[in-house]
Amino acid sequence: MANVKQISVFVDNKPNQAAGAMRVIKENGINLRALSLADTADFGIVRFIANDTDKTVDILKAAGYAVNVTEVVAISIPDTPGQLSRVLDALGNDNVNVEYMYSFLGTSDRAVSFVIRVDDNAHASDVLTKNGIIQLTENDIAEM
Amino acid sequence: MEKYWNPEIECMSREDMKKLQDERLVAQVKHVYDNVKYYRDLMDKKGVKPEDIKDTEDLHKLPFLSKADLRDAYPYGLLAKPLSDCVRIHSTSGTTGKRVVAFYTQNDIDMWDNCVARAITAAGGTKDDVCQIAYGFGLFTGGAGLNGGSHKVGCLTVPMSSGNTDRQITFMQDLGATILCCTPSYAAYIGETVHEMGLTPDDLKLKAGIFGAEPWTEEMRRSIEKSLGLKAYDIYGLTETSGPGVAFECSEQTGMHINEDNFIPEIIDPETGEVLPEGEVGELVFTSITKEAFPLLRYRTRDLCVLSRKKCSCGRTLIKMAKPMGRSDDMMIIRGVNVFPSQIETVLIEQGYSPNYIIEVDRVNNSDTLDISVEMNPEQFSDKVKDMQKQERALADAMKLMIGINPKVHLVSPKSITRSEGKAVRVIDKRKLHD
Repeated sequence: MANVKQISVFVDNKPNQAAGAMRVIKENGINLRALSLADTADFGIVRFIANDTDKTVDILKAAGYAVNVTEVVAISIPDTPGQLSRVLDALGNDNVNVEYMYSFLGTSDRAVSFVIRVDDNAHASDVLTKNGIIQLTENDIAEM
Repeated sequence: MEKYWNPEIECMSREDMKKLQDERLVAQVKHVYDNVKYYRDLMDKKGVKPEDIKDTEDLHKLPFLSKADLRDAYPYGLLAKPLSDCVRIHSTSGTTGKRVVAFYTQNDIDMWDNCVARAITAAGGTKDDVCQIAYGFGLFTGGAGLNGGSHKVGCLTVPMSSGNTDRQITFMQDLGATILCCTPSYAAYIGETVHEMGLTPDDLKLKAGIFGAEPWTEEMRRSIEKSLGLKAYDIYGLTETSGPGVAFECSEQTGMHINEDNFIPEIIDPETGEVLPEGEVGELVFTSITKEAFPLLRYRTRDLCVLSRKKCSCGRTLIKMAKPMGRSDDMMIIRGVNVFPSQIETVLIEQGYSPNYIIEVDRVNNSDTLDISVEMNPEQFSDKVKDMQKQERALADAMKLMIGINPKVHLVSPKSITRSEGKAVRVIDKRKLHD
């Protein structure tokens, strides 16, 4: 099992809201490895992976944000056509439901990385291993 | 043991109370007829003479006064004493039009202080208590009213006024305040701040809260009681009749005893003006029978409620009024349905949300829209959009059950809705802008 901790922050769907959260992160010298913003008409959810999860959660909570931490799966796949489709097929064939996913940059220009949010991490992890897909650990991401 | 401030009045037999009211009413009608031209004209127009009012049974013969009359007569038209006999004025917040100014003689102030002293005593207050008053001071009657009553009881009075919440709490701790008086929305905010400061009710000595000046729900009462570790008592009043203390709650917490030796209540049908029997919901009307400077007869409060003479376990015989369902001013008519902000508040607290919300009513393509912004509950925050939208839908469904129409619920950040230090403004009716 190689789960990665993802932080989510609730932000209002108004100007300067996500910026406020990012300012808090910046002021505390935290580096983000991956980020995505989901939005609805009313609010947004900023999801990201930071180099120090505990500290980031503490400072955001202290600044009054609603914060939550979930474990997600992170993978690294070759940057060639058809690779993502292979991952999703593998997961789909084994009935793993993907809630959402987002890509982020690693250090290699021949590979791309993805965060995948599923309901059953252990099951997803098994399926990925079985199909020979490389999973990233928190250490891997921190060292990127 | 229940304590009373004026046991001889508060526990008076119904017959004696009626006799007292009869005498005072007859004298008051004469006082008003002789000294207030505005009301004399209304009586003449209706063909009623002071001699026609022989006791409280004749009350219904008198004309009503409404807020519109008070505006017409602004500022001196309803004054019944020379200004030289008056010692103070108070004024309404004036959010719904021209301000209303009320005048007080020293006797009026003494009567008012006495009414509030009954309320503080009913909440368990004695001269040994420290009473912190976090109602606004100034033209608003809240601060001055509770201040006067607290002095009369002999409490150590802390006239904080509203605002500066951290300092409010520090004073509460340092001086060991046992009674807190403010609006319920401010009490809720103080409770929230206490917890944010890392304190618990055990760090405070509060035993009772006297909260009024805006409608609040039973759910809000329980939540304030829990967050501040006190028993919360309702108090009712309006500037037009004097201020807080027209009615007050006792330990039974099932409605407020009206100080009917000073104010005779009636419940009327707001449409026809007809007096309704005890137990029916209608508009509350007050006749001041002891006030000298600004004695309003049959003043329509626009508050909808019920009166009850059921025996109260506290031993008081004063008639009780139920918590008003809301001032008819606060009532919104949305798609033909009557909606009160208090109903929304009930649902929010039941579902574990903060009682801070904004209601926006608008009209789009000739159809009313109802949008309610609610602070999301950080405990229930999920990284999945679908979960959060499920929460919005669940809230909208619960509200639909309560009010009969389907609102749009919008979750916003925790603490992003401005906290009120006085009367909370919760409704934005944009339809009025279009009219």
